[in-house]
Amino acid sequence: MTAVEAGNDDIRRIEAEAVPTRFARGWHCLGLSEKFKDGKPHTVNAFGQKLVVFQSGDGRINVLDAYCRHMGGDLSQGTIKGDEIACPFHDWRWGGDGRCKKIPYSRRVPLRARTAAWTTMDQDGLLFVWNDPEGNPPPPEVTIPRIEGATRDDWTDWVWTETIVNTNCREVVDNVVDMAHFFYVHYSFPTYFKNIFEGHVATQIMKGTGRQDTRPPAKDGEPRLLGNDSVASYHGPSFMIDDLTYHYDTMDINSVLINAHYPIDANSFVLHSGIIVQRTDKLSGPAADEMARKMSSFILKGFDQDVQIWKNKARIDNPLLCEEDGPVYQLRRWYEQFYVDVADVRPEMVERFEFELDTARPVEAWKKEVEENLARKAAELSASTGRPA
Amino acid sequence: MTIRPDNRLLDAPMQPVTCRRCGAGVEVRKASWHQTSVQWNADAAGTCQERRAAGPGVFPGCAALRDSIVQAALDGEIAVPEES
Ligand code: FES
Ligand SMILES: [Fe+2]
Repeated sequence: MTAVEAGNDDIRRIEAEAVPTRFARGWHCLGLSEKFKDGKPHTVNAFGQKLVVFQSGDGRINVLDAYCRHMGGDLSQGTIKGDEIACPFHDWRWGGDGRCKKIPYSRRVPLRARTAAWTTMDQDGLLFVWNDPEGNPPPPEVTIPRIEGATRDDWTDWVWTETIVNTNCREVVDNVVDMAHFFYVHYSFPTYFKNIFEGHVATQIMKGTGRQDTRPPAKDGEPRLLGNDSVASYHGPSFMIDDLTYHYDTMDINSVLINAHYPIDANSFVLHSGIIVQRTDKLSGPAADEMARKMSSFILKGFDQDVQIWKNKARIDNPLLCEEDGPVYQLRRWYEQFYVDVADVRPEMVERFEFELDTARPVEAWKKEVEENLARKAAELSASTGRPA
Repeated sequence: MTIRPDNRLLDAPMQPVTCRRCGAGVEVRKASWHQTSVQWNADAAGTCQERRAAGPGVFPGCAALRDSIVQAALDGEIAVPEES
């Protein structure tokens, strides 16, 4: 039984300020870099703008504002010519540094022929772009850490997905602290949960156990899932690396999961998932690739479950938390650092905060729920077959 | 965006705890024996021996501080609500 506090009969109002019009300072992943290396310019709608992504002849991947400063042509509909992107309207040539290098039909390039250029980073097969409303270069201490398995032969290649979600991206970040939704929305069973926020990194440490009522039981000879161990960190506002191990009765499966997004505008974002799986003696060759694909479709299902909630829910700045909820307010305090000028980042946004959740009550309640679900299923089965379960 | 206070802190605020090993001062709240919130500041991070000795990557927490918090709870220096 939940104790109900009595005494205050005022109705609690949901409060929500307007969504921020500014976009987070930080590295954002645009997906697999390979996708941008096909010799064509690509349109990316991000940070409330239209961008052109193109690989210049020197191999670098560049990101510019898509609209040509001449007469507004869309560079992402243009052509790559050598190291430059050529506008489809009048063929002005723009370099990756944002400068107009050449106008084939003119003797000289006018002054101030410079457009917005974003700093990019091609690392571990992923393309990152640095967004900073103040226009400063990326400080080295906030760089995205290397993902060792991504370039190693004993790990699979990335299995990558991209989904457009029509809500403000704070919803996806909130998941970092929301333990209970993993049970109710994603049908998993957390047994340990801790958050640590420090500097530009927000971490979630979670252990879970297998849940018999929502997954088909392992058939004879199939490995049986016992539980999972996960350490997931957001490095900045949008890129989460999750070291995730699944424990089976016969083996462990090590994987790295990416959960990343970039804002399209204030009310939509592109949600990415990526996964690599370590090959082992027990999980070798195509079996590992198959496992990565399976896990990827499982994650996609998870996104879909979140989206169903997000589509219908209210934005809420004053969530009413019980003691078994995670630190939503402190997470948002951490997240705020990316939405203010560097000079306005306050100590409280970056100082270390730890929150270890007491899972005793949730685990007790969820065990009961799982047992009830199993009993109901068994009863339904025996009713339909006429045999006792 | 306004930074809002956690509704749970209204009934029971964070309370100061000092690490018995290094003297680092942090703020702590316990909603039960197994729930713990720890708010560090720059001074504490600079003082904590385990924090300073830690390499790159996530620092999971300081064992000495953890013990000090448990002791502070046992000694009644920080409140721990009774289980209902
Ligand atoms: S608008 Fe781009 S070249 Fe004229
Ligand atoms: Fe979720």
